[in-house]
Amino acid sequence: MLKMTHLSKVYRTEVVETYALRDFNINVNEGEFVAVTGPSGSGKTTFLTIAGLLETFTGGQYHLDGVEVSNLNDNERSRIRNEKIGFIFQAFNLIPDLNVYDNVEVPLRYRGMKGPERKERIMQALERVGLASRAKHYPAELSGGQQQRVAIARALAGSPRLLLADEPTGNLDTQMARGVMELLEEIHREGATIVMVTHDPELAARAQRNVHIIDGQVVDLAEDPRFHQAVHAARANTPA
Amino acid sequence: MQIKPILSALRQHKAGTLLIAMQIALTLAIVCNALFIIQQRLAHLSEPTGIDEPDIFVVQNEWVGKLSTSQADARMQEDLRAIRQLASVQDVTPSNSYPLRGSGWDDGIRLKPDQLQDTSGSTVYFGDEHFIDTLGVKLVAGRNFRPEEVAPMDMRYSLSPPVVIVTRALADKLFPAGDALGKTIYLAGSPTAIVGIIDQLQAQSVERWAAAFAHRSVIVPRRLAVSLGAYYIVRARPGQLDAAMRETPRALFAINPRRVISDKDGLLSFAQVRDRAYERDRGMAILMGLICVVLLAITAAGIVGLTSFWVGQRRKQIGVRRALGATRRDILGYFLTENLLISCGGALLGVLLAVAVNLWLVVRFEMNRLSLAYVLAGVVLLLLLGQGAVLAPALRASRVPPVEATRSV
Repeated sequence: MLKMTHLSKVYRTEVVETYALRDFNINVNEGEFVAVTGPSGSGKTTFLTIAGLLETFTGGQYHLDGVEVSNLNDNERSRIRNEKIGFIFQAFNLIPDLNVYDNVEVPLRYRGMKGPERKERIMQALERVGLASRAKHYPAELSGGQQQRVAIARALAGSPRLLLADEPTGNLDTQMARGVMELLEEIHREGATIVMVTHDPELAARAQRNVHIIDGQVVDLAEDPRFHQAVHAARANTPA
Repeated sequence: MQIKPILSALRQHKAGTLLIAMQIALTLAIVCNALFIIQQRLAHLSEPTGIDEPDIFVVQNEWVGKLSTSQADARMQEDLRAIRQLASVQDVTPSNSYPLRGSGWDDGIRLKPDQLQDTSGSTVYFGDEHFIDTLGVKLVAGRNFRPEEVAPMDMRYSLSPPVVIVTRALADKLFPAGDALGKTIYLAGSPTAIVGIIDQLQAQSVERWAAAFAHRSVIVPRRLAVSLGAYYIVRARPGQLDAAMRETPRALFAINPRRVISDKDGLLSFAQVRDRAYERDRGMAILMGLICVVLLAITAAGIVGLTSFWVGQRRKQIGVRRALGATRRDILGYFLTENLLISCGGALLGVLLAVAVNLWLVVRFEMNRLSLAYVLAGVVLLLLLGQGAVLAPALRASRVPPVEATRSV
């Protein structure tokens, strides 16, 4: 589903070159739930923005759903984002001027979907996250947890092949975070491929697989006992 | 189209939206009426006088010292003979005034001696048997004056001409059946017969009060023979206007130097006469044009300012839309559509306001009713202006990268 080989991302200024990702390799299979962890500044978010085609990369190869994306133009990248990828952002990123229904509708409109099909998908997605009754509410009228559920509904409405979540519970309290995490697990059980960036070992422990990034490179978890300990501790505290 | 979500979003920004819509409405109302006034002024100042303007010039001759009517007439006859002898001159006629001069003799015309109210107002021109040829007006019925019908006249005497020539507009007004030729009319209380009808001859005044009889002129067979002098209307041979204007004063001073031909307005080509006559109209048209330009510029600046502000404010939102699959063209289309919706709302209000302003002008200043074509032209102009003004900020918005969605504000 997602394969990056020897990928690099360099930010250049007149005096300095900064490698955000260096010889970066990752392979996410269809139906996997992968948590990407790492300290601040390690390159987690850069990985996610490149994976989501929000940014271009400097070198290497990236295949998404079998398509090599490095030569795609802006319109083609937009189309793939719209049709194959669902985004869940830490700050929810709902459009404050639009109500819940219109927010979920945004990607479907860009796909050129007809009105009746849009309506059916929106209502299905909202029912799935338990917010069908709030369709006419504006984001400011919802709690943080509800806003993130709307963002998940927006990501699900287009039936994407890949869900990319950037610290999805980072702005939520524990109870709301648990609810959102359970929703993601449920979506995964139904067959979705999810890549979630997080710095929370407890959340990472609930994923199928953990990928750890340090200094722009994927490191072998077996070589990092501290991370193993953290994951074990987190798994021990997680209710079955 | 994204009209519904755009309208939903605009409802969350009522103040800015209403402000721009009101600005567009006000601009439309003023620009429509201003363009209409400009068009009317331009049509007014390009109105034909009916004379051979390119070859005509006017000499204002004043005598030094007091002269009797016969003395003044003798000197005038001598002047006219001398001017006619110039190779660059085709003909000359003396008159009390000429079209577009600004002031002169206007009088009422009645069809019966005991009539209490005038049938029509008219402009009275003095002229001899050379008047028609000199001015290049077209005689469409009847005859020209005969030399024996033309008499010298002091302003103190009553007019009472035996015959007159009238313009077709005056003839049609007095005798709508088209049988004016040979009929008797009463000019300044005296009976006189219409012996000729000319096609067109504009009045002296171009002011609104004279508009009712702008082309209803009457020519009386008289030479104004007074010490104050008269106007010599001269027609140069084709292409020799400059030469004729140089030679005529020289010839006149050679005959008799005891005269004044003012440097300021003693010698005027008809082009200069036209320029002076319509100075106010031209000035008004320019002023209205400037007002339109300034208003349109202010409105365009308002649209650019507000859209730029909104683009800055919604940068993250644009990034989110891009992340969710919007292309650059989608973002550009969003802002263009948003502006079109605001402009359409403003234009709708502006049309009502434009008609209301025009109705007020009609009642208050007797202006004409605004043509629908001007309202439509104004609407199209404002919509195009809006789209043009929003283009730069909209293009800027379309260049916001999708990665903006992941950046914290």
